Amino acid sequence: MHEEEKDQGLSRRGVIGAASLIPLAALGAPATKQTFQDRHLRIIEAFVDRMIPSDEHGPGARESGVATYIDRSFGDALAAERPSFLAGLEAIDALARSKHGAPFAALDPVEMDEILTALENNESTGFSPDSRTFFYRVRQLTLEGMFGDPFYGGNRAFAGWDLIRYPGPRMAVSAEDQRLREPIKPLRTSAANRAGRHGH
Amino acid sequence: MAIKLRPVDVAVIGLGAAGGVAVLPLARAGLEVTALEAGTWLDPRTFKPDEIHNNVRGWPSSVQKANREVPTVRRSATSATLPRGTVHAMMNAVGGSTLHYWAQSWRLSPWDFQARTKAIERYGAGAVPAGSTLEDSPLTYDELEPYYDLVEHEIGVSGKAGNIQGKIDANGNVYEGPRRREFPMPALRSTGFTELMAGAAKQLGWKPFRPPAAINSEEYRGRPACVFHGFCSRGGCHIQAKNSTAVTTIPEALKTKRLTVVDRAHVTRIVAGTDGRVTGVTYLRGGREYFQPAKAVLLGSYTYENTRLLLLSRSKPYPRGLSNNHGQVGRHYFGHWVGYSNGGVLGLFPFDLNVWYGTPAQGMVVDDWADDNFDHAGLGFIGGANLHVFNEMHPIQSASMDTFGRAPAWGSRWKSFVRENAGRWTAAHIQTSSFPYEDNFLDLDPAVRDPLGDPVCRITCGPKDNEMRTFEFAQKKMELWYRAAGAVEVVRRPMTPPGVSTHAYGGTRMGDNPETNVVNRWGFSHEAPNLGILGASVMGASGARNPTLTVQALSWRTAEYLAKNWKQIAG
Repeated sequence: MHEEEKDQGLSRRGVIGAASLIPLAALGAPATKQTFQDRHLRIIEAFVDRMIPSDEHGPGARESGVATYIDRSFGDALAAERPSFLAGLEAIDALARSKHGAPFAALDPVEMDEILTALENNESTGFSPDSRTFFYRVRQLTLEGMFGDPFYGGNRAFAGWDLIRYPGPRMAVSAEDQRLREPIKPLRTSAANRAGRHGH
Repeated sequence: MAIKLRPVDVAVIGLGAAGGVAVLPLARAGLEVTALEAGTWLDPRTFKPDEIHNNVRGWPSSVQKANREVPTVRRSATSATLPRGTVHAMMNAVGGSTLHYWAQSWRLSPWDFQARTKAIERYGAGAVPAGSTLEDSPLTYDELEPYYDLVEHEIGVSGKAGNIQGKIDANGNVYEGPRRREFPMPALRSTGFTELMAGAAKQLGWKPFRPPAAINSEEYRGRPACVFHGFCSRGGCHIQAKNSTAVTTIPEALKTKRLTVVDRAHVTRIVAGTDGRVTGVTYLRGGREYFQPAKAVLLGSYTYENTRLLLLSRSKPYPRGLSNNHGQVGRHYFGHWVGYSNGGVLGLFPFDLNVWYGTPAQGMVVDDWADDNFDHAGLGFIGGANLHVFNEMHPIQSASMDTFGRAPAWGSRWKSFVRENAGRWTAAHIQTSSFPYEDNFLDLDPAVRDPLGDPVCRITCGPKDNEMRTFEFAQKKMELWYRAAGAVEVVRRPMTPPGVSTHAYGGTRMGDNPETNVVNRWGFSHEAPNLGILGASVMGASGARNPTLTVQALSWRTAEYLAKNWKQIAG
């Protein structure tokens, strides 16, 4: 199912957490304080990496800053949801420790996928209201981070938009940009760069 | 203690689709009008082409009144309340939800006004849905037509007429009621996708046309044409080409110098005197309580808040709530059975559709299966559906697609699937005729309160056979349409009854009989003669299309009636 994972070079137990945090600080958007603890962020990074892995079709969620998007979101817009989200992260780590004796982020991809599949199938206990709800919450946030405006910290280098051939926001759209089949020239720009017109 | 303000002629509660229109005929007639709006003015320069801001986070505006009063929902009077949402379907602002709506500006069909009588005439007495409280509207289409026309020209609506004084034009909707003249602007331009769907509809023998929109297809009254940038759904128009009341009727009314807009005014009660007449409105602003005396009050908040404010406004003459001595406030409520995410039909095509940009009203629709445009013998329902396909797709939305059984929900195989298909699917918008029932209603929730301590509105709305059958019928027609256009996969999603809705009707229904209706044919209370009510809360049937233009035509008519009969109503 996930043949590509052997090629990642990031899948060795213990390596992922430390290595993957480095790029978080090096972003184009305004610097913001990390809101989750490192160990929580490592769970998020590992989780989203399994949702959208890096492969021959381009960067995955980890490389595209999706964890940064999620971290920032819980620092402002989703602050009220933070306690239940943290409880979900703790539950997934507890599951990993009881099954494999190691934190989730230190598992190998096959082990991670087993755990995530059980979550998705609502077979895991310890989640409120249930594991499926938490799984799809993280999946939803992964999609937001991967395919949302880069202003929010994800979709780094427009990797998400390039993946699905979304040609980017533009201020005026011609009839030619609304034809069937024809590729549309991508405008790799963030809504935040529309200074004076569409500023954040 | 409330600070008592100087009396005015008319206090209007809410400056959205309804109140935002009503202020114009009042102000033009020279009445002194104070409009109390919970939200504030929003600056178009702050409107963003940003899916996270607009759609994921629901355009958080500076005033959060509606979001703190989200109604609760249950499926029957004996079932438990469902988990409560955190974001209201509507927003607080000058212009209200017309700032971010799809701007589809439909007239109802003549059938919708007299659905009860016409269904019985054609199909027999048993055709009226069991348990429904459906009445004919006291108005006919012809009586409302002049107001439809007026509002279309005042705010600006794009479209192509299908029936001008009985002369049929197949480029427009051949099923529509007669119009006195052509739309003020041509229809919004077609796109590759909408032309594909038009061709498929014609192959099926259907009659596709471009839907009406309160969006400029060309410059109109000094405001520019739409640039189709693709952030119209739950987004504001940065160039003011979407004809919200904030850029049309409200500024026009302000020009008369007879309108005062009080923003950030949180209305808490409508006050009545011992004689049963309303005397004014109490509201909170900046931490203070004010009483605004008025000779007449027009209530135009939204369906849920209209009912709630009346029920909360108890007084000696109205012990069960204002204008509720007949127990009709909150009755005949129904949400519109609309399929899109819930109950939607999805089509997957083998090529890029390029529907990223544009606006939902830039679409293609068929009315062949709407209203009473086809024979219902043996079908087990009355009414029908408007089928609507359209442009505007955002990237998170597109990647959140159904995988049509072709891929898992995550991982590399999922990634490969969305890489190919995120730009190749679309969801139809299906609007069905919906009706009121004895056991669907609004009241005050006994358990859930807003931050002021007042109960929120509670919706009781369960499944109904007529609507479920209509929906199943419409979904199958939609699947036919997609397949004819070349879709390789079609998914018909299950439908659940509407909850908190942007198309919410009833609760203060309009009708001649005070035993079963709250307002009379002019929109004034059967009980409090100087209280008028605006909005879809006065409508008794939805039709198979968006409510806003009908709401606006009725609001204009109610306001005009007040101005023309001022001495009689204001005393």
